[in-house]
Amino acid sequence: MQSLLEITDVHKTYRIGPAVVPVLTGANLSVAEGEFVAITGASGSGKSTLLHIAGALDRADTGTVSFKGQALNRMSSGQRHVMRNRSFGFVFQLYHLLPELNVLENVMLPAMVAAPTWMALVRARPRKRQALALLEEFGLVERLHHRPGQLSGGERQRVAIARALINEPAVLLADEPTGNLDPKTGQTILDVLLRLHKDKGQTIILVTHDAQIAALADRTVRLLDGRVQVASQG
Amino acid sequence: MYKLFLCIRYLTRKGIVIFPVLAVWLCVMMLIIVNSIMTGFVNRVRSAGHGLVGDVVVSSISPAGFPDYQQLQKRIDALPQVRASSPVIVALGLLNLPDYEYTKLVVVLGIDPKSQSKVTNFDHGLYWQYKAPLHAVEDIGDQGYPVRQSQLVKRAVAFLNVAEKNEKRLRDGLAMEPIPSSAWFAAIRRHWQVVRREDWQAALHKLDRAQRDLAFITGLPKNGFYKNRAALIKALVPAEPSFTPPPEAAASYASAADEPSNGCIVGVDLGLYEKNRFGQYNRPPGIRFTPAILTVSPITLRATVAQPQAGRFQIVDDSRTRVFTADSRQIYVPFKVLQKLTFMQQQDLLSGGVQPARCSELQIRVKNDASAAAVNQARDAIARVVSAFVHQHPEAQIAGLQTQTWVQEQAQYIKAVDNERNMILFLLGLVSLVVVVVIFLIFYMLVRDKTRDIGIIKAIGGGEWGVASIFLLYGLLISAAGAAPGVLCGVLFVLHDNWIHDHILWRWFGISIWNRKVYIFSHIPDQVTASAVVIMVISAMAAGLLGALLPAIKAARQDPVEALRYE
Repeated sequence: MQSLLEITDVHKTYRIGPAVVPVLTGANLSVAEGEFVAITGASGSGKSTLLHIAGALDRADTGTVSFKGQALNRMSSGQRHVMRNRSFGFVFQLYHLLPELNVLENVMLPAMVAAPTWMALVRARPRKRQALALLEEFGLVERLHHRPGQLSGGERQRVAIARALINEPAVLLADEPTGNLDPKTGQTILDVLLRLHKDKGQTIILVTHDAQIAALADRTVRLLDGRVQVASQG
Repeated sequence: MYKLFLCIRYLTRKGIVIFPVLAVWLCVMMLIIVNSIMTGFVNRVRSAGHGLVGDVVVSSISPAGFPDYQQLQKRIDALPQVRASSPVIVALGLLNLPDYEYTKLVVVLGIDPKSQSKVTNFDHGLYWQYKAPLHAVEDIGDQGYPVRQSQLVKRAVAFLNVAEKNEKRLRDGLAMEPIPSSAWFAAIRRHWQVVRREDWQAALHKLDRAQRDLAFITGLPKNGFYKNRAALIKALVPAEPSFTPPPEAAASYASAADEPSNGCIVGVDLGLYEKNRFGQYNRPPGIRFTPAILTVSPITLRATVAQPQAGRFQIVDDSRTRVFTADSRQIYVPFKVLQKLTFMQQQDLLSGGVQPARCSELQIRVKNDASAAAVNQARDAIARVVSAFVHQHPEAQIAGLQTQTWVQEQAQYIKAVDNERNMILFLLGLVSLVVVVVIFLIFYMLVRDKTRDIGIIKAIGGGEWGVASIFLLYGLLISAAGAAPGVLCGVLFVLHDNWIHDHILWRWFGISIWNRKVYIFSHIPDQVTASAVVIMVISAMAAGLLGALLPAIKAARQDPVEALRYE
């Protein structure tokens, strides 16, 4: 399979006060188009950092990250914003929905960011149609005008997934998406992700510390001491 | 687009924004009110000052005046820029009203009423000779121009109806039974009784005024059409004010021999009248035609003081120029009479020859006097004529002639008021910096509060500039949301400031800020200008932007990963 995302020899350190903490020390990862990869590892092993670097949300100190052959780390800040908006969709453990917006508005927001100002009104209708279709797919049609505070955890996470998918990203990056949910609700979220992967061939990179969840993926990689140590086929 | 969308959501769904909105609202309102009142005040002072001396004044530095003024006047009148001119004599004198045991040091102005009316607004401020007092124009005419006589009559009738109703309401109020009460209530009641009685007296005045206004307006030609204020004033002022006592004046004197042949006109603020809280003058019934003895000290060409000269006059009118320094010190007498009293008339010299007649100044009205440029141009032309005249008349050179526009002539007086306005606006502008600080603090808190949102926006593709512009736009929207009601409330307040002052501040709280006993204008002057409103709104927007700037930069620089981790 052709490689969609290629992470090669990535290093990343964080400065905490006077101390320099190495998080990634030469991580390598290759993700093919349509693949479902789970990244596991202990707390603080650098799973989220790797995910952020893969999705152009963070920069690696050294090493290369290339997406469809384009080196993300050589891109300008503006190009990375566009890349993040159009090619990657993030789902976070704490949902990270904007509390002032309702469900529909939260889902439409990345599409609004994507539209240039002069096209905003022209694209408003198709954008809304698309958002409604996604929300219908995730069973949230009844909740369109509810604010995040009025939703359950599972509903919030489904809204976050719909938001991540509105711009039809090449890669969905999920950082412990079930970490804040009870097992039953967590399972519904995993079902959504699996359906996306199987039915639509969505490329997914999922960060989890749960081996059972990781087992659902096509492939699992394990981060240890800042490196991808183990790779297993799901 | 998403930036505007987020701003509107933040604006409508974050309660804390009410504070910066309120701060902008109050500041814009305050600045509009203060600027309008100060501008109105300055403009009224300017227009009163303008009406006092005409457009250009040629005056002598020497108190003895300058000779051959008729020749100079002729030459000036021949200039194409000049509409009219009038000679004036200025002298110091003592006014004594024997019937009132009243003596006061005054500035005596010798004027020719006919020519003076063409040059200044002297005739507008006369009380008994003016066909309608100036308030007829203010009460009825100023409700809108152009206006026909029939419309004016309608307005005057409506004005009279309101005055009647008001007077009746207050009279009925006075007749009310006192409410049985405690000491606290009694104090309030006493205050109310005083207020009501004063209001009632003022209403009686107003009723009288309304009746007179209606009589004047009805007396105007039926087909009268008045384009503007000036046209209406022209129709209401007498063709020629006069110092000559009317025939009914004789009734005040035992015999014709007792009656002084000359009339004088006194400044309304000389202290002869009491002025009430509403700025209305209470003229004693016998003041008109009362005898007045005026003593002046002539000043010779060699600047020595000659034997004081006294003349008998009777008060035929009073003048209100609305310039306090003039109204509280000046009295007006016929030009020729004062010329004689001050030895400034043409005289045959013992040594043979003639000493030409003198005057203190020539007041000139120019064409197109609303334009400062036209006035300055006319001043230059007049100065050239004066310079040529001085070359030919060495005595005029000694007198030291100077040619000034009305603005220069009254610079000290006008500039002082102008400076006061600018100073107050500057100080209030400084106070308004509070708005910038309030917006800054609220936004600083908001950026902290919204740290995670900033991370989310960046995670979905929002850039630094995008995030910064959300906060900058937010600042602008907050300013706009505060400025709009600020302008509305400010303008509404200014339009009703006199009503608010009289009916709310005074009636309910006993507070009288605008004391008409002190001020020369009976109403709080106000003038809302579109340009001032636009400047205030732009300043408010700039304040909003400035307050939001640093927090916006901070938000733009926020690292998205750290922002997402923010608890």
